[in-house]
Amino acid sequence: MKIVTSLIAASVAVLSLCSVALAQAKGGVIDVATIGEPPTLDPMASTADLVGMVTQHIYETLYTFDKDWNTTPLLAAEMPTISEDGLTYTIPLRTGVTFHDGAAMTSADVVASLERWMRIATRGKQTAEIIKSVEATDEATVTITLNKAYAPLIALLSLNNSAAIIIPAANAEQDPLTSFIGTGPYMLKEQRADQFIQLVRFEDYQSIDAEPNGYGGGRMQYLDEIRFVPVPDPNTRVEGAVSGQFAYADSLPVEAYERLSGGQTEPLVLKPFGWPAFIFNTKEGLGSNLAFRKAVQAALAPQDMMLAAFGSEEFFTIDGAFYPDNFAWHTDAGTEVYLPEGDVEKAKTLAQEAGYDGTTPIRILTSRQYEFHYKMAQVAQAYLEMAGFKVQLDVVEWATLTQTRTDPAAWDIYISHSPFLSEPALMGVLNDTSPGWWVSDAKAAALDAFNAEVDPDRRVELFADVQKIIYEEVPLIKVGNFNALAAQSPKLEGVTPASWPYFWNAYLTE
Amino acid sequence: MAAISASAPHREPNLLMRLARRPTAFVGLLIILTIAVLSILAPWIAPYSPIKLSVANRLNGPSLEHFFGTDDMGRDVFTRVLYSGRTSLTVAVAVVTLASILGVVLGLVSGFFRKADAPISRLIDAMMAFPDILLAIALVAALGPSATNVVIALGLVYAPRLARVVRASTLVVRELPYVEAARALAVPTHKILTRHVLRNVASPLLVQATFIFSSSILAEAGLSFLGVGISPDIPTWGTMISVGRQYLDAAPWIMWFPGGAIVITVLSLQLVGDGLRDLLDPRLAKDI
Amino acid sequence: MLRSMLNRFGGMLIVMALVVTIVFVIVRVTPGDPAAVMLGPDATAADIQSLRDRLGLNASIPEQFLSYVGGLLRGDLGQSIFLNIPVGQALLERAEPTFFLTVFSLLIATAIALPVGIMSAYLRGTVFDQAMTTLAMVAASVPSFWLALILMQFFAVRMGWFDTSGYGGPGASFAERMHHLVLPAVSLGLVSSALITRFTRASMLDVLNDDYVRTARSKGMSEWRVVVRHALKNALIPILTVIGLTAALLISGAIVTETVFGLPGVGSLIVSAVLRRDYPVIQGALLIVAGLYVLINFIIDMLYLAVDPRVRY
Repeated sequence: MKIVTSLIAASVAVLSLCSVALAQAKGGVIDVATIGEPPTLDPMASTADLVGMVTQHIYETLYTFDKDWNTTPLLAAEMPTISEDGLTYTIPLRTGVTFHDGAAMTSADVVASLERWMRIATRGKQTAEIIKSVEATDEATVTITLNKAYAPLIALLSLNNSAAIIIPAANAEQDPLTSFIGTGPYMLKEQRADQFIQLVRFEDYQSIDAEPNGYGGGRMQYLDEIRFVPVPDPNTRVEGAVSGQFAYADSLPVEAYERLSGGQTEPLVLKPFGWPAFIFNTKEGLGSNLAFRKAVQAALAPQDMMLAAFGSEEFFTIDGAFYPDNFAWHTDAGTEVYLPEGDVEKAKTLAQEAGYDGTTPIRILTSRQYEFHYKMAQVAQAYLEMAGFKVQLDVVEWATLTQTRTDPAAWDIYISHSPFLSEPALMGVLNDTSPGWWVSDAKAAALDAFNAEVDPDRRVELFADVQKIIYEEVPLIKVGNFNALAAQSPKLEGVTPASWPYFWNAYLTE
Repeated sequence: MAAISASAPHREPNLLMRLARRPTAFVGLLIILTIAVLSILAPWIAPYSPIKLSVANRLNGPSLEHFFGTDDMGRDVFTRVLYSGRTSLTVAVAVVTLASILGVVLGLVSGFFRKADAPISRLIDAMMAFPDILLAIALVAALGPSATNVVIALGLVYAPRLARVVRASTLVVRELPYVEAARALAVPTHKILTRHVLRNVASPLLVQATFIFSSSILAEAGLSFLGVGISPDIPTWGTMISVGRQYLDAAPWIMWFPGGAIVITVLSLQLVGDGLRDLLDPRLAKDI
Repeated sequence: MLRSMLNRFGGMLIVMALVVTIVFVIVRVTPGDPAAVMLGPDATAADIQSLRDRLGLNASIPEQFLSYVGGLLRGDLGQSIFLNIPVGQALLERAEPTFFLTVFSLLIATAIALPVGIMSAYLRGTVFDQAMTTLAMVAASVPSFWLALILMQFFAVRMGWFDTSGYGGPGASFAERMHHLVLPAVSLGLVSSALITRFTRASMLDVLNDDYVRTARSKGMSEWRVVVRHALKNALIPILTVIGLTAALLISGAIVTETVFGLPGVGSLIVSAVLRRDYPVIQGALLIVAGLYVLINFIIDMLYLAVDPRVRY
């Protein structure tokens, strides 16, 4: 029996997705080690990736992303019909979808949920400014009317953090949310803070009748139970994976790569995962001077920063473009000022031009929540000092950092990172109010043109202009691309490497 | 220890000399002095720079070039252990100094002046109700993670412990005939305190301070390990372990050597403390 | 006697009031913002402000203090900002691992310390005694988290005998949960055995020199009976006192050890509450821990008063 199953498992691996339904046995429980306790199980109420990762099993959105980061229907029956002027979106809904409490999902639930999203969610509130109305045309159709054409709308509705999830209309008034009821393939059974979040299969789940495709397509429910276990210490996550305690362990330090091979667990590399960035305070202090920002850009050596932060070339690439070449958005526009080795002389000249006095310290704000932030800060300090800058590293706790960065008087540079978002308009730096406060006429012009354009090919061209403006005005410095490391048990199959790992479609073999 | 302490009957003038007669205390003293000297001389004897990065040389094991290997930034671990000793010992000395000053003032005042006794004693009781690490964590979080603030936090944590010792001795000394006589002769209070009381309080204070010295080395390491201590860009033994923890398997030497340094330092301080107690306070020595 | 009891009770109330104030002040001057942590990296400043309003964090400090003290007097420790449950419930849910961790560590420490301490005292000055005394000192010098990591590396990762972290999943049996406590209890127990060993040895030395022990010996009693029946019986009171003291010290050790092993106890709750700036939880935990200590001290004082009426405060 064992031999047969493993033979089947092997042939499945070879045949890939062709014979999905045949080989995977239902059943099994997995423990997934996450980076901590999510602050809430309401993905509307938080933009944290961790919240999205856990709750995407419980709730669903109208649209989601396929494996190529295109938007694809989830609770919607198909892609929306968009009027000529780009102002009216008609969204047909799937019928026969039920919530975990047994009630059928209707257009009334969708309208109530989207209204809650516009009222509560950070991204929803921003979008609300351009949404004129959300109306139920009939039981299974919803119409969204806009004030002005806004191409990123469907991508926004597809995101899983600050997410436009669909919940029963009866719960939409709750804030904070207390009934965790969605339409997803798994439902919440028990949550014990800092111990586990236990999800069990939702037996009445209605999957889309199609092959799985990224977050979209069919969602299979092989596993009986998924338990998310918060393990804040990265080292403990590694040890737990190595000893076989966790079927999947998220976000591991790249140094652990070797240890993960050949035992109870295997390394899983998501490449490329995202990009770290040094974000300037363009509102006050040193960073409000463009020549200064350019001087810092010239002083830094991305090559060494990435090596120190990610250990080996397998885990990073040196790339100035905001999207790697497997994305349609990839372009080299403006990246000639991205210098892998840095240029000390150029930096010194620019610093002089900027009138830098040689004594005011550059205050770099960072934390050790993400060890690679801190390591890049250390290397950056060394290079900046070589170019004649004074540097003050402010290493604080994450809770302090998220507060301090909202104060323009308190910092000059802070370190952050972002996954490659399917929709460039969602990049934090493009938002005028996000810490850094980059505002300029050139930015507004390029961005307005980009957001109003509906034609996908034209948008790709317009994004090149956006990227060029970023490199001209240097509101941030992109350091490179990095890969993420996770670990999974060899018995766990069907997990696709993803920015927000998901475990429908996953199954256990013997 | 008791067997050894029984063999030191005569009084000799120099405390250091007397301490040196006890083999275990002598060994402890020798070790702690060696560590202190090595740390102070770090800039002259360390083979590499403690901060210069050499990313290409990261995570190399111990070798002839790097006795203790290199860390995640390619820095020499031996060098960093030496430099860390400067910070860890300085922090501990500063903690003991601060705690002693606060402890002596609080203890003298509450032991000598009856009116001040009740409020100060209640405050000491309240401070001592918190487990030390717990109070230190809360204080450092409140003040912000820096070396100065760790010193302040630990100083506040240990001061009540010293204050109690000083208060108890002061209460005894105050009733001694010659102190009563001095008071009767209207000798100014500050003179009585400094001339008579402080001198008598010095011995138990010295013994306690030695133990607080070793406790604060452990406490600083614990705080840094939990990520609520000294800012990680300043090398201390504690911050080195907390960094090395991530490389427990790939490069355990990053953690071994600073950990070993802590064990040796704390151990030698305890040996010295025991020796001092046997010498200065034979009554206590019998109890423990 | 009634008067001194009342005096003492008044003193305890003053100490508790001081404890409450100290806790509140420390927690409120702490920088950082629970609202920003909860809302995630892309939240806007306006969102953070409105959540702060809802959590009552924008009220003035005296107002917050009054409402906090008011709540305490009604037996209400407040509501956890992050976990969204009452603080009392959060602490109760975490009590089990901490309780058993403390009990097991004490058992391990005592099981090592009593025989070693007695033997050392009995064989005073021998190689055994010196070796054990030195070993106890070494044990007291080892940072407990360091020992914990080494044990975890060897027994959990290499040998696979234990899980590296956690307290068992949903529906884990009592035995499974206790299995998760073995390594943490060993690492804490080893370190705390040092103090008990030294105390046991010292108390035994005292007693072994006493007259009645000599008398018992001269009567020709077997050595075993002399040591266990007479000497140990009399040395037991100070030994029990130090074991009790160690129990109180263990909460400090539990904070670090629970964090290393990912145990969902009170200690790790405090550390994560500090990192999340979950003010009510930090306040509640500090208050309960310190309050228990004050209360135990008070009870001991009362017992002394009852036993010996000459004691006056």
